[in-house]
Amino acid sequence: MAEKVKLFVNGQDVEVESGKNLIDAIGAVGIEIPHLCYHPALGADGNCRMCLVGIEDGRPPLVPACKTMAVEGMKVQLDTDKIKKIQRDIMELELINHPIDCPICDQAGECKLQDYYMEYDGQKSRMTVPPVAKAKHMDFGAGVVHDQERCVLCARCVRFTRLITKTGELGIVNRTDSARVTTFPGRPLANRYALNVVDLCPVGAMTSKDFRFKQRAWFLAKSESLCHGCSKGCNIYIDHNKEKYKDDIIYRFRPRLNQQVNGYFICDEGRMTYKLENDNRLNVAQVAGKETSVNEAVENVRRVFSQAKKIVMLISPNCSLEQMQAVKKLATANNAVVSGYSDGYIKTGDGDLFLIQDDKSANRAAFGLLGLDSSKAGFESALVEADLVISFQNDLCRSLDDADIAKIQDKAKIVYIGSYKDGLGEIAAITLPVAAYSEDTGIIINADNILQQYDVAVRKNDPAIDLLQIVTLLGGEFKNREEVLTDLSATIAALNNIDLKHIPSEGIALTDKEVSNVAA
Amino acid sequence: MSDRSQLIETGVPFTFDAQRDAEFERLVKRYPTRESMILPALWLAQEQEGWISAEAIGYIADRIGTFASQVFEVATFYTMYNLHPMGKFHICVCRTLSCYLLGKQEIVDYLKRELGIKPGEVSKDGQFSLEEVECLGHCGTAPVVQVNGEFYENMNVDKLKELLATLK
Ligand code: SF4
Ligand code: SF4
Ligand code: FES
Ligand code: FES
Repeated sequence: MAEKVKLFVNGQDVEVESGKNLIDAIGAVGIEIPHLCYHPALGADGNCRMCLVGIEDGRPPLVPACKTMAVEGMKVQLDTDKIKKIQRDIMELELINHPIDCPICDQAGECKLQDYYMEYDGQKSRMTVPPVAKAKHMDFGAGVVHDQERCVLCARCVRFTRLITKTGELGIVNRTDSARVTTFPGRPLANRYALNVVDLCPVGAMTSKDFRFKQRAWFLAKSESLCHGCSKGCNIYIDHNKEKYKDDIIYRFRPRLNQQVNGYFICDEGRMTYKLENDNRLNVAQVAGKETSVNEAVENVRRVFSQAKKIVMLISPNCSLEQMQAVKKLATANNAVVSGYSDGYIKTGDGDLFLIQDDKSANRAAFGLLGLDSSKAGFESALVEADLVISFQNDLCRSLDDADIAKIQDKAKIVYIGSYKDGLGEIAAITLPVAAYSEDTGIIINADNILQQYDVAVRKNDPAIDLLQIVTLLGGEFKNREEVLTDLSATIAALNNIDLKHIPSEGIALTDKEVSNVAA
Repeated sequence: MSDRSQLIETGVPFTFDAQRDAEFERLVKRYPTRESMILPALWLAQEQEGWISAEAIGYIADRIGTFASQVFEVATFYTMYNLHPMGKFHICVCRTLSCYLLGKQEIVDYLKRELGIKPGEVSKDGQFSLEEVECLGHCGTAPVVQVNGEFYENMNVDKLKELLATLK
């Protein structure tokens, strides 16, 4: 716990954390100081002046809260007439050349200019001259579309490209009322995190080409989840909406703050994986290439399962910890071998030093925790006697080529239980759709051994059965997720002291001793 | 200030000539960081070509090792950097507060009529170019006009007529 200091805010005692500026310190106890340019990940720039506050200690009449640290005994004034007038004046200046095209602006509903106008301004425009015209819908590259007229010149986007990605594509050119954000000719936005500028922009000046005009912000349900794009497990919001007579559809992923994992940002590729959740879903069961009902497919799986002599259960590094444990126990009870072979999920050299990892799966660390083998040799030796391979979400086609898969098919039946239209689903003898992570609850452990939980976000009209239920139907010992959690806590030493039923939202850092697994 | 962000691309790569190259290397040693070379390097490019092209800005950024966007910012901020070829006589009129209040608009309107060009343009014969600029630091003697860097203070239309007559 950080040290506490006592402040007097508008004459009231408040206790805040020390070592923070007034915006963050006072904001943490629920008192808002309006600000446009300050962002905790980008530091204080001091350019917007919206955060001016009074400090009664003889310093200049007003100071920017973003650049003022909270110290013991400080007397802070936020609501004097003078401050209110300044806030109103700044809003008036911001709005002089603003197009106020909220009805067609994506940001409407989550726009600082709208919020602050209602809260701190509220006056009619006094402008009688036409506003300065600037460029609209400029394609900045990397899926970012910019509207110069909506920009309040807070420079968050510019600072993001200079301080965070260090690619520096953006700049503010010209000066005075001509100032505007732009890119240098021939050097567009070209970094793997560019879409974060859309979230950072306090107004609707930065928009996502992908999301533009798709949904009004206030229709979107914002559910907390975890990106499954790689083994970083970035915290996200799944913004989705179920329109009347339609199904629950995801419209975008946005980063969700977790200092321990991803900070304020996510990568662009991960952000776009929401499309897989909508469009790449496996939603029909198939037996021998023919569409069937889910029940019939389940019956077929049960039959081949009971008839098989030697089974290999191929588990995906994207399965949750609970799913892995349930499959592992099912295998033990049936004298089957579990393999996590999934080399194809690793793109060596693709990761960077920021968020993106080589391993494009979300939960490989759990293999180590549960002692699941993921080596190719292990998988191959398990295959020797096998006459049935059941894949749980594992798209073997990512790791093996057609010829290798054909060899497996010669001697063994392949059953695919998965959520996506994967290669293996197309060639499997039985294909059974199950819920994807956006529709399910589960635990994953990221590349840095941080254990986190995701919850049901999307509720489809026709919900898919979840993978744990299938395992139960195949004779697995657990009746529900609770039972798996109890078992995990009891049998896995590293989890003995962890309450898996109440995982804090920032996750739990397992120490290195507890998890020995490294990507295969 | 007019929009100066529409850079002109010549299609020809830019490099410093031998003299400016040597000058760049001499100056760079004077500063603690290479970014400090943005202003002098832009001057060198302008001295060499008379104006600064997109290629010159890109070259300077790469030569210094900074972002092109940053050099672009500096080049467009200061109206003393010419971002297109100028007329033989380059006329700047201050448009900031003191000059504004003391009648810069009459001066600009007169020049527009007389020269047939708007701020940011060059006359067809290449004789004149016109620019509205921010405070030139001579507010006490506003309104202020600058021709090829030289100041003309306390200006009005009559004085401007006389001045134009001498520019040939
Ligand atoms: S585009 Fe948005 S983030 Fe960038 S300077 Fe303008 S208002 Fe700020
Ligand atoms: S870094 Fe990985 S986990 Fe984070 S957003 Fe990108 S793909 Fe998703
Ligand atoms: S937030 Fe403090 S000046 Fe902008
Ligand atoms: S306002 Fe014109 S010189 Fe300062």
